[in-house]
Amino acid sequence: MKKLQYSAASKVCAVIVLLAAAFGAGVFGVRAVLSFGSVADDSWQSSSRFYSAREDRRRELKEGIGLAWSLEALEEQIKAGNADATLRTDAEALRENRESLEQRFFREATWFRFRLMNADTGEVLGTNLAEGESLFKTVQNVHRDIFELGDRDIDDISYYDPQTGVGYLPPDSNPKGETTLPMKLVLEYGVPETVNASVQDEFYQLQVAWGEERANFDMYLTGFLNLGALTLAALLWLLWTAGHKPGEESIVLTWQESIFFDVYAAVMIAAEIFLAFSTVWTAQQLYWGAADVYAGMNRDFEKFYQLGVLGAGALFAAGAGCAALLLRTLVVRLKAGALVRTTLLCRVVTWTVRTVHDFVRFLPITWRTALGFGAYVMFTVWLFEVGRYEGVFMLIYFCLQVVLLLFLGWWAYGYYRLRQGTKTIAGGNLEYQIDTRRMPHDLRLQAEDLNNISVGLAGAVDEKMRSERFKAELITNVSHDLKTPLTSIINYVNLLKSTDQTDPKALEYIEVLDRKSQRLKKLTEDLVEASKASTGVLSVAREKIGMGQLIDQALGEWEEKLNDHSLTLVTTLPEGETWVYADGRHLWRVIDNLLSNCAKYAMEGTRVYLDLERGKGQVALSVKNISREALNVPAERLMERFVRGEESRTTEGSGLGLSIARSLTELQGGSFELAVDGDLFKAIVTLPQAN
Amino acid sequence: MYNILICDDDRDIVSALDIYLTSEGYQTIKAYDGREAIRAAESHEVHLILMDIMMPELDGIRATAKLREGSNVPIILLTAKSEDTDKILGLNIGADDYITKPFNPLEVIARVKSQLRRYTALGGAEKGPGLITAGPIAMDDGAKVVTVDGEPISLTPIEYNILKLLLSHPGQVFSSAQIYEQVWNDPAYGSENTVAVHIRHLREKIEINPAEPRYLKVVWGLGYKIEKGA
Repeated sequence: MKKLQYSAASKVCAVIVLLAAAFGAGVFGVRAVLSFGSVADDSWQSSSRFYSAREDRRRELKEGIGLAWSLEALEEQIKAGNADATLRTDAEALRENRESLEQRFFREATWFRFRLMNADTGEVLGTNLAEGESLFKTVQNVHRDIFELGDRDIDDISYYDPQTGVGYLPPDSNPKGETTLPMKLVLEYGVPETVNASVQDEFYQLQVAWGEERANFDMYLTGFLNLGALTLAALLWLLWTAGHKPGEESIVLTWQESIFFDVYAAVMIAAEIFLAFSTVWTAQQLYWGAADVYAGMNRDFEKFYQLGVLGAGALFAAGAGCAALLLRTLVVRLKAGALVRTTLLCRVVTWTVRTVHDFVRFLPITWRTALGFGAYVMFTVWLFEVGRYEGVFMLIYFCLQVVLLLFLGWWAYGYYRLRQGTKTIAGGNLEYQIDTRRMPHDLRLQAEDLNNISVGLAGAVDEKMRSERFKAELITNVSHDLKTPLTSIINYVNLLKSTDQTDPKALEYIEVLDRKSQRLKKLTEDLVEASKASTGVLSVAREKIGMGQLIDQALGEWEEKLNDHSLTLVTTLPEGETWVYADGRHLWRVIDNLLSNCAKYAMEGTRVYLDLERGKGQVALSVKNISREALNVPAERLMERFVRGEESRTTEGSGLGLSIARSLTELQGGSFELAVDGDLFKAIVTLPQAN
Repeated sequence: MYNILICDDDRDIVSALDIYLTSEGYQTIKAYDGREAIRAAESHEVHLILMDIMMPELDGIRATAKLREGSNVPIILLTAKSEDTDKILGLNIGADDYITKPFNPLEVIARVKSQLRRYTALGGAEKGPGLITAGPIAMDDGAKVVTVDGEPISLTPIEYNILKLLLSHPGQVFSSAQIYEQVWNDPAYGSENTVAVHIRHLREKIEINPAEPRYLKVVWGLGYKIEKGA
């Protein structure tokens, strides 16, 4: 079945069947329509064709009477001797005409029966009735025409049936008074109800045709219905297969569908109407043409009649073809869901809407607001003006308010969603995407930009994370590669020390090796730590810690060592515990480095001041000491890596202590400052206070 | 006579450790990557393993995990990684201790001895009513004796009381003021920094490397604690 739907051959067959069947149906249909009159009429004399044929005979007869009357007058003039040659030829021509007409009305030539009488005297002037034959007996329906010769305008036909008494006679049908010329005449005429083949005139043929048509009507109708059904079936088949093509899953659109549907439909419907009128016209021509044939006026028509029937069939087939085309494209468009958008109307409406829409979008929002508000005010004022007289306009006004409320609500809700989304993104959820569906256009633009920013930011953050991970790995690996050989150096120096060395120089060298390897160890550790701290690779776990407690612990670690260097620690702490948010281990390293600096560089016998202050949500810890050497470098330089207070690098220390301290402080969200005033060295660590 | 398995991909370090440990009277078995270490541990009777973390083929962490499947031999990790996470991972996977490179030979020997004592003296000490333990530290409150790995250490009364306070609440952080109030039975008036000094002394007596304490830990800015389950 599916295969058939996609088969091209089946479509071609269906088209052929459709056209052939429609043609046949048209032929049978025309015949059926032409025959229908005969079936509807009980008597063959009831048809309009019969009336027309009878009236034609009457008119012909009256013409002949007029002709005879003119001829009489002419002949009188000829008799009187005052006629010239022209008149004589005229008379001759008239005589010939009269004779041929007379022959048409002979009993042997026609079933038409008549009696012409003088209306005044009742004298019979002419008839084709047989001797002693009664007109009323021969002809059941006698018609009467009263007229005056010479006055063609009087053409009064009256109908009177003497048997039934139905009909009427004109009031002057039997006028009394003077007989004047022109003469008043009565023509009585009719056609017998049954005619036979003895005289084969139009009436006989009409009767025969009536009989034939009555007999064949059923056949015609059956043929029409069957072929019509076949046409319909072929049409349905075509519609079912329409749009399917072998090898194509979806509906295939053809050139037909590239024409706007409404235009196409209008053209096709016009064509249908034209074809329908043509068919009706053809049928009418055939109907009346047949009558003419019977009247013997158009002998060639017999051939044309057949051709005409075929022509009507062809017209019907063309109509069916047009209908099939139109329905096919309709069905294909419906199947493809493209009916509405392939109409010209839709295109025009869409274009108009888009143009207006684009124009409005193009305007800056301020203009749009101003214009929109202006339009609203004008419309409201107008509504009020009109609404004073018409209550309906107040209702419109009310509806407008509701619409306005909905519009404002839509905007407000859109803004609310935008705000929520922005808050979420600002809160650090960079993955978050604001839902822009059904948002007002301007807000949507804003939301989309925000979404783009958040995507970009998320990418940047991701990139940063990756680079951080890379840095962390690099530091770990370098640290490993430095420490492994260092481990061997330290251990083998140690082993060397435990060997028996007699040469005092060797002992001295070993001592140097030992010292320098220890220093290398310290440097390596500090270097790794400094790299970690400054690249931010270190994890920071901030919690609420007590500065007082930390300083106390630091003193526990350092007081004795400082005392060994003849340094006195003076601490000033505020009342109660001072809480800060910091990572205890990192903060300890900061203080450890500062106190270690004091031990290394402070002048012996001086005091080291450790002050803790709090205020304005900040906690500041300052360490002050007097430098042993002159500090000939600015404070900023001191924080650079490998810079130490004195130029010679003989003393212990890596020169990384302050750099590490600053990095660690900053990692915890604090700030680290150095101040140098003469020999006074001052380091201040500021951290946010915790409640 | 203990057999110690040394495993490091750096042959010089293995030889150095071998010299130290042999001079201390231990027998050594050498391996240069994780797989060799596992094979050696399977074919020999091994009492302790010194294992490097960063090694080709099979790293120290994985090797430790493998070994732990069928053995509870003490494992000390040697690590050049100074990341805390590595140490924690190592201990969680089943290592008993760790030493950071570059190490001090004396520290290595001290840790080896400590682990061996704990391994061989398993369940040796009686758990009497007055006995408080945490890792290698055992305090007999009745006899007022404190041992680390079975070795008695001498403490001052204040150090003893501080240790007792911390030992009886493992994992709990005590601030200097709290310790002062509990041990001295006096309200603290800013004289707590003596506590810090006492703790440092105590640490020097208990810990093998006081700069890197394993049991008596400093919680910077908050106080001190004895590591829970150490």
